[in-house]
Amino acid sequence: MKQLADTLSLVLEKAPCWAEARFHRRQSQSLQVQKGRVKQAKSSVTAGIGIRCLVDGAWGFSSTSNLSSTSIEQALKRAFECARSLSQVKKATVKTLPHTTLARGEFVLKGYEELQQMSLEEKMNVVVKAEAQTRGRSSLIQSSTCGYNEQFEDKIVVTTDGAKAISRLCRNEMRLSAIAASQGEMSEGQHTVGRTGAWNCLFTEHSIDQMGEEAAKLAVDLLSAPKIPGGLATLILSPAMVGLLSHEAIGHTVEADFVLSGSVAQGKLGQRVASHLVTLCDAGFVEGHPFSGGSLLVDDEGVPTQNTMIIKNGILESYLHNRESAAAFGVSPTGNARAWLYQDEPLIRMRNTFVLPGNQTLQEIIESTEDGYLVDCPLGGQADATGEFMFGAQKVMRIEKGKITKLFRGATISGQAFEVLSSVDAVSKEFLLDLGAGYCGKGQPAKVDAGGPYIRCKAMIGGVQE
Amino acid sequence: MDALKKERRQLEEAGARLISEACKAGADSAEVCGSFGHRNKITLEKQDYHLASSDEGYQLGLRVLRGGRQGFTSTNSLDPKELKEVALRAVEIAGFSPENPFFTIQSNSPQKAQPNLNLWDSALAQLSLQTQKDWVEWMRKEFLKDNRIRLNEGSLEVSKSLSLLVNSKGTHHVESETSCVWSLMGMASDKDLLTSFDYFSHLSRKALGIGDTIISTTAQFRESLLKNLKTGEARSYRGLVIFSPRAVLDILLDSLIYHLNGRVLLDDSGRWKLEDKDKLLINSAITLVDTPWLTDRFSCGLFDREGTPTEESELFSEGKLKTFLLDNYSAKGLHQTSNGHAVGGASSIPTVGSHSLCLKGGNKPLLTLLKEADPSSQGVLWVNRYSGQTDPVTGDFSGIAKGGEWWVDGEFKYCVKETLISGNVFECLGKNLLDLSLETQVVDSSGESPSAVIDGISVTTV
Repeated sequence: MKQLADTLSLVLEKAPCWAEARFHRRQSQSLQVQKGRVKQAKSSVTAGIGIRCLVDGAWGFSSTSNLSSTSIEQALKRAFECARSLSQVKKATVKTLPHTTLARGEFVLKGYEELQQMSLEEKMNVVVKAEAQTRGRSSLIQSSTCGYNEQFEDKIVVTTDGAKAISRLCRNEMRLSAIAASQGEMSEGQHTVGRTGAWNCLFTEHSIDQMGEEAAKLAVDLLSAPKIPGGLATLILSPAMVGLLSHEAIGHTVEADFVLSGSVAQGKLGQRVASHLVTLCDAGFVEGHPFSGGSLLVDDEGVPTQNTMIIKNGILESYLHNRESAAAFGVSPTGNARAWLYQDEPLIRMRNTFVLPGNQTLQEIIESTEDGYLVDCPLGGQADATGEFMFGAQKVMRIEKGKITKLFRGATISGQAFEVLSSVDAVSKEFLLDLGAGYCGKGQPAKVDAGGPYIRCKAMIGGVQE
Repeated sequence: MDALKKERRQLEEAGARLISEACKAGADSAEVCGSFGHRNKITLEKQDYHLASSDEGYQLGLRVLRGGRQGFTSTNSLDPKELKEVALRAVEIAGFSPENPFFTIQSNSPQKAQPNLNLWDSALAQLSLQTQKDWVEWMRKEFLKDNRIRLNEGSLEVSKSLSLLVNSKGTHHVESETSCVWSLMGMASDKDLLTSFDYFSHLSRKALGIGDTIISTTAQFRESLLKNLKTGEARSYRGLVIFSPRAVLDILLDSLIYHLNGRVLLDDSGRWKLEDKDKLLINSAITLVDTPWLTDRFSCGLFDREGTPTEESELFSEGKLKTFLLDNYSAKGLHQTSNGHAVGGASSIPTVGSHSLCLKGGNKPLLTLLKEADPSSQGVLWVNRYSGQTDPVTGDFSGIAKGGEWWVDGEFKYCVKETLISGNVFECLGKNLLDLSLETQVVDSSGESPSAVIDGISVTTV
């Protein structure tokens, strides 16, 4: 890696403009067993170098999977030509990239060697057993699936203005799902976990047995659960749901490229956008939670990642930046530039996005809720430039007079992000980053994590009407 | 095609090397799916040009069988040393994977009657960067003709590519294609009003006439965004809703296809069984065909991910189930024959999917249906785009009606925000499907559908 980093530095010395060279090797392995049959056992390697040039304020990009100096030089030439050509038509030119402390040296997150030393065969045995156990937990379980993915990431980022960072990390995910069936009704329960780190990091909150048990139980319980009535309601969101809210509803609208395009967060810096109980961050590395699924120490522009406070006590404090948007706003980059593969350009992406914990216990919040719902087990989610969001929840429990009384089938939760955050009136002590198995989509995928405490707020439930 | 001669040779040599190394290492049979792609792409962002890029690369996926066990590896390298390691790794994975009797690598399939597809256009393959820049400028200018439009991102990509499918049992297919794909994502704003974002993408495989199509598709998209600036309120109700072609494809047909998937059928995880063929299972208005041969669609080709010749499949005819989507895996398990529905890229294991779905339209124009849907002039929701969750197992769906429109007595009144819909796919495709429009629309160069009038939908607003 050091030798390749030196080669990249040497090639960039010939660049007639600002340039960035990024080597990225990803080795990924996937296993999937369904109903006792192996559906997937695969190993993939993708490696190459992406070169980005900035010429007269315009960007050019090219990539190569050939790691020879000649091939890298050719990619540099192509990227330069692309940028030069675009600079002839680009209207507003990119300002000079801001001077900032760029990363130099090696940046390694724990678990890489440990996870690599554990054989894929051992992992396969665990997956096969977990699937069989989940399927055997009830005669109502018709089918179950266990899937495991891992990614080993090796990167080098070198820029003509001083970055020279070598980084290494590994990520993994485990997914267990069960489908229950009875009298023509079907339902699904699932439990997922995703981490940055070694194998054991996956099971710090729940053992694999517990994951399977919960997935099977949820599938069976949902079989007889009624559909939820639609309308505005008081909701207690679980940490995973708060993670979805933080990521989808707030995080995307404060990505600076989206802000510049006119998102609802435009012009709102310094304004109250949430209840004073809400402090929301996006961090490359979360103290006390080193294995969060979106962890990274250096971004793909060679900027060290930070803990960026987006909302502090309800006031919008910062957007999320790459070097280009930081220049446009006259601030420092926040280390949010990420690319999925070597042939992708870095975009502004989140990492670990979360609300900070509060002072009440979950029990206290439930007991003080007269009429509402406890919402858990997130499915996917999406947000809009307007801040309107939706996310799916698999498990919704009715709360009446301070007690959980009834389980409903899953539903969609929706609202306008800042309005929902402004309605927050309770925040729990309990805190979890619980969305590490998730991927964010923005043209390219990105591995992210999100979470927080339990919070109580008001939002819409997309249920049934009489 | 001459331009890719060298790349074809390299791809075929790498494929042959992978198969040879895998068999030497103990594989009973091996299959390589390979691809080469060259693309020039110009992206737009924040009303302006953003980035120009030029890339090319290979991808190779190796699937091996050894004693009924399967291993799969992939790489983007052509280096012989790396290819040998990839082959050894695939055989090693097969060595410890549990046996599955349905895995198969097929012998060369007999030829079927297929059309003469031409996916290659020399003019597009040799397109200059200047012409590509001109096209992007036309798209940008047309979109921004109205200063209330916000261009979040857009791109125009011209590519030429090769696909290879070769196995140790004599299958050998190579297809080449060119394409130009443009897309836009944006919203409209006026004073304090900001609409939901929307997007579209379009594919063309020939250079001739692209300029006009870029302008017409962009103008159409711009006008649909501007329409969203007129906003008003919906009401909460349970009843009739009109689904746009996009909503029909996203909400209804995606879930329907899950239950037609041969692998779901094999696992007994779906609603229907083989013996349900020719039974009336959904509304008799539904005639659904999956076709792999439409050159103006993304998924188009003469062979599938396993090298099986593709075929046009009638899935439902007037509500009666006609066939399932089968690859070799599901076909073997079900004692059937693959109908060419193995899908996936070179770096992924083949799975089952559809090519391009075409739902047949009804007899009445959409405007007539919109009028008939609101006899009491209370207003009815037209769902343009859907952002939500659909559980393919149960068919339950719940989400936001994006860019939803409120129609009263057959007339557009305004667009609605924060409006949720929920229902069940199988009720929508069964008793609750009241009608389909005469007009059909191809959505994002993939599926084609009419609009649908559906009863029993819960609409929830603030």
